[in-house]
Order: sequence, then C-alpha cells, then structure tokens
Amino acid sequence: MSNTNSSSRFRIVKRMQLPAKKAFLYYTVAVLVAMCIGAVLLMCLKINPLVFYKEVLTLGMLDNVFAYKQIEGFIKLFVPLLITSLALSLAFKMRFWNVGGEGQFIVGVICASVVGLKLGGSLPTFVVLILMALAGGIGAGLMGALCAWLKVKFDTNETLMTLMFNYMALYLIKFFGEYKADWNFFLDPGSDRPRFLSLPKGAWMPTIPMGKFSLNISLIIAILITVLIYFYVKKTKQGYEITVVGDSPSTAKYSGMKVGKIIIRTVFLSAFMIGAAGAMHVSTAHVMSTAITNDVGWTGVIVAWLSKLNPAVIFVVSILITVLQYGCQVANAEFAAIDTNFANLLQGIILFSVLVADFMIRFKIVRNKANSENGKESE
Amino acid sequence: MDALNIVTLFLFYVVVYNIALLYGTVGEIITEKSGSLNLGVEGIMAIGAMGGYLIGCRADSLLVGILAAFICGGLCGLLFAFLTISLQANQNVTGLTLTTFGLGLYFFIGKGLGNKWPALRDSLSLSKQVEEIEIPLLSEIPVLGKALFSHNLLVYLGIVIAIVAYFYLNKTAPGLKLKAIGENPAASDAVGININLYKYIHIIIGAGIMGIGGYQMGINLGGSFEGSNCWINGYGWIAIALVIFANWNPAKALLGTFVFGFFNTLKVYGAALALAFPKALGWLADIPAQLFQALPFIITAIVLVLNSIRKNKNNGQPAAIGIGYYREER
Repeated sequence: MSNTNSSSRFRIVKRMQLPAKKAFLYYTVAVLVAMCIGAVLLMCLKINPLVFYKEVLTLGMLDNVFAYKQIEGFIKLFVPLLITSLALSLAFKMRFWNVGGEGQFIVGVICASVVGLKLGGSLPTFVVLILMALAGGIGAGLMGALCAWLKVKFDTNETLMTLMFNYMALYLIKFFGEYKADWNFFLDPGSDRPRFLSLPKGAWMPTIPMGKFSLNISLIIAILITVLIYFYVKKTKQGYEITVVGDSPSTAKYSGMKVGKIIIRTVFLSAFMIGAAGAMHVSTAHVMSTAITNDVGWTGVIVAWLSKLNPAVIFVVSILITVLQYGCQVANAEFAAIDTNFANLLQGIILFSVLVADFMIRFKIVRNKANSENGKESE
Repeated sequence: MDALNIVTLFLFYVVVYNIALLYGTVGEIITEKSGSLNLGVEGIMAIGAMGGYLIGCRADSLLVGILAAFICGGLCGLLFAFLTISLQANQNVTGLTLTTFGLGLYFFIGKGLGNKWPALRDSLSLSKQVEEIEIPLLSEIPVLGKALFSHNLLVYLGIVIAIVAYFYLNKTAPGLKLKAIGENPAASDAVGININLYKYIHIIIGAGIMGIGGYQMGINLGGSFEGSNCWINGYGWIAIALVIFANWNPAKALLGTFVFGFFNTLKVYGAALALAFPKALGWLADIPAQLFQALPFIITAIVLVLNSIRKNKNNGQPAAIGIGYYREER
C-alpha cells in the first residue's frame, strides 16, 4: 500500500483509531497554529495580537457598562449559524452536498416576511411567529427538496444545483428590495428611495427582560432544536437511515431502505430548518435586508465540517466561530483595519489547518527503509 | 451620442467587463477536467487580483503583474490540490473555504494598506501598457471594429488562453490523458498515468488562469480599492455556472462569455439602449436589472437539469467530478 510515487522515500499508512484525547490534542494544536498565523498577519499591521485576541475573545465586554448589549448582539449572530450548521450536517451526513444554505435562508426570510407583513398584528404574536417559521421552512424546504428530487430522479449534480439557487434567491430578494412598484408590499411606501418595510410589532421575536439584558427567545428555541437533532440523529430510525445512506448507499438499498425517499425527506428537513432559521432571524432583526444572511450558508458549511457533523460539537464550534465573527466586528471600533473580513480569513486558516490535523489523525507517514531500494519491497 | 455609437460602446463593455469570466471559466474547466470541483474561484480570483495589482504596480510592469497574478492564483491552486489530493480533504468544503479565505485576505490586505494603496495612474509604464491596442484592418469594421478589436492586452490574452486551452484539451496527448483522468481515474491509474501529478499541475494552472482574470477585473476597474465591494463581485460564481453552460468546452466558453456578458451589461446599459432605440428596444427599460443578474444562474440550472435528463453521451461533464480518488479505496 504505497503512495502513488513508487520511488518516494515516504509512504502513507492508515492509522488505527487514535484515542479521543490525542485527536483532541491534534485539533487544539491546529487551531493554535492558525491563531499564530493570524497573529503574524496582525503584527504586519502593527497590531498587538495579544491585545487584539483579548478584545475578540471577551467580545469587548471587559470594563464595559454596555456588556449586555454585546451578548444580545452575539445571540443574534449565533442562533442562525447554529441552526444552519445543524441543518447542513444532516444533508452532509448523507453526502448530499447542500451548499444552498444562503439561498434557502433567503427564501425563508422572504416567505416569513410575507406572513409577518400581512398577518402581523392581526393575530396573536405567537401564532404569527409559528406561521412565519412554517412559511419560511416550507418555502426553503421545497426548494431543497426539488434539488434532492432531481438528484434522485436524474442524478443532477446537487452541489451545482443548490449553488445556482443561491443566486436566484439573492437576486430575488434584491429585486424585492430595489424595485419600486405598487404591488411591492415589501417596500416602505413612505420612503422615496426603495427601503424594506419593517415588520409590524406583532411579528417580532419576543424577548425576556432580565434586568438590563433581554434574552431573545430564539436562543431557547435554537438550544431545543440542537437537543432534538441530537436525538434524531443518534436515537431514531430515520437518523439511523441517514447514517447508512451516507456510509454506503448500496447497503441501504439492499437492506430494503427507500434511498430516494430518505434523501428527499432529509434534504427537505435540512432546508426547512435553514428557512425557519431565516424566519426567526428576520423576526429578530425586525426588517429584511439584502445582506441578511451574514454569509451563514457558507460559514455553516465550515462549522459543520469542523464539527465532524456531530450536533453536540456543532453547538460548541458555532459558539467559537460566532465569538470570532462578532469579536472582530466589535474590535473594529478600536482597530479600524480589522472587521469581519479578518474573521473570515482566520476561519479559512483554521479550517485548512484542521484539515491537515484530520489527515494526521487518520494516517501516518512512515519512512521507507533505506535498503528497500534494492528490490526488497515490490515497489 | 448617436445610436450606433451606443451599440459599439455596449458591445465594447460586453467584452471588457466580462472577459474575466472567460479566464475564470477556462481555469475552472481545466480544473474540473482533472476531476476536481474547485468552488474557490471567487476567492482565487480575488487573491490573484490583489497580488497581481500590488506587485504589478510596484514593478510598474504589466508582464510582472500578469505573472504575479498567475503565481498568486496558482499558489491557491497548490493549496487546494495539496489538501484535496495529498491530504484527501473534501473538495466542496475546501473550495468554499478557499473563497471565504480569499475574500478575507483581499479585504485584510486592502484595508491594512489604507492610504498606502498604490494608484494605477502613478504606475506610468503600466498605465501605458494597459491602453487599448487597435488591431489593424479589423478595428476599422464599422460598429463592430471598435467594439471587438480595440482592447487592451489582457482582453486578447484571455481569448488566446481559451483557444490554446481548447486545442490542448482536445488535440494533445496530455490533454486527452487529463480528460481520461476526469472520467475514470482508476483506469487511468492502471495504464500508468501519474494521476496525482496531472491533477496537481492542472489545478495549479487552472487557478493561475483564474488569478489573471481577477487581475484583469482590478485593472479594468481602475485599480481603486473599495472597502465594501470586492473587484470580483460574484464573477467567480458566474464562471462556475458558465462552465456548465459551456459544457466543459473552452471554445463554447468563449461564446458563453459573450452571452452571459450580454446579460451583465444589459443590467447596466439596458436603459441607454432603450433610449437609443425606443421602438425596437424600449421594453428593455421595464425589465428589472435583477432579472438580468439572475439569468445566467437560471439558464445554467436549466441546462444542468436538461443535461442530466437526457443523459447526453456528448455531455462534457467529467464523470468523476467532485469525487476524490484514493487508490486503496478502489
């Protein structure tokens, strides 16, 4: 089992399973290496990395009387990312490459806003919110299920298909946001320049006041969803089917599973969750925006992958990535050259170095013995 | 300005604002023919643009700029190839991350430089080198001449690269071997083709070409850095769509660039055309710009579905696209 190049002095050998502790150590080192690379980049801009990282990791809450505001801001970014990453992990588990998170989120936002704008105030808030989540979820879910159906029926490449839908959705929301017309109820009629109309108060996500801090209900919902998905994947028959289809479609087929049905059902669920996350996000933000996704569909892919598609790990990694994203946003006040783009850059470096760690956990590189050159080994 | 001049200007813009699509598409075709789906085009173009522009301005030379863009793009390709081939990482995730990373780096460098950002007009010989060159005779054709045959070197280079890539992929031995790898890596491995070497080289070259495309966009936009908008502005994603539309064929990519470029330009200059020809094209003014922006993606989705329904044997999509090849798992 030598690597491709027959004359190479090294070869790659698959490892036995590494103990979890050791694997964890590898990943920690990988993240630290990435942070060190980030530190070098920061020093190029003459920014002290220690001061910067401290600001990011504490979200600028030290000695800050408005610290509770930072936590509220954190939750607004965290909830969509968590739910989207969980949803994507379901599809990825089946090796269905749903990279359409952006589009599904946007469609969720649009459908939920229709409900919110039309019904907000005329029905009790909690009914409106449930209808919004359902509308967003079903809209996005159908879009995802269409891609899954095409994949099952005609073997249409799902990566490319979901990618195309991202941009159709993006230009759809831009159309609603920029095209003034009598029928366009998304826009604020009182504004000369096209501007999205705010949702009525009856469609706002409620918050629980705790002193100065007010806890957004969406956080509680997101935590509940995490627990549910954990049990769905680990304990239910459907969750088991997802795993089997992902590991070996032929095993699934010959054991009598309806693979096509499982794929369509799971992708619908995945997209439904992303759409519902979009609905929750717009009712938290109170207004649509063409940049409402915050790249959650892309970041979600990174989070899901960093977490090895494990719901519990996704919860933790989502927190860390949101700290990074929001922390960089906060640090922008002090370091003008740094904003969320640095978070994206660092995120990329972290994922790359974790991919290297992945490899080192799965394989080891051994030196070919010097005398093997004399034909002792077959190659 | 009279009506015909507007047509000329319109067609000129179709070419000059969209030739980067051709670079991106040809680069991605070469990459995908080796069986790798690189979703990092947007990020690679951004890094190529940044590297090419900064180094090119410093050296005050177009050639250095092009080389730097190629090398910066190529380094991204090397990273992608190393992670997906040698370290067997997932292609989709690696590619998407490359985009996040590339755009992050683009803004990090741009914002970090602040007012030290070089201006294109300060690089005197570079500015001269990117002036339009009129091709004798052809550029004198009425209406079309000025639109198609009076461009700068970066535009001509893109077309030359597409034509060379077409012949390389279809008429040369290494090109045909590359296609075989994309279709069936195991069989190619069995007949003794060094698959990994082929994949590495073509991913790197493909990414290098994308990098030059990014550089062209930066130069075309006058090289001014904006903190909110990247020069590439989503063209990397359109290029991925165009690969499908062009059926993995660089010659068709040339055609497709003008089709997609036509829509992109209509978005901006549709209203001017409508004004110039109120009777024939007046309806253009009523079509929302966003529809023109979405059209490339809508068309591509339809082509993708039709191709898969017909199971077309002439379909250029490499059979092993997106699937990593590991000898042990055969």
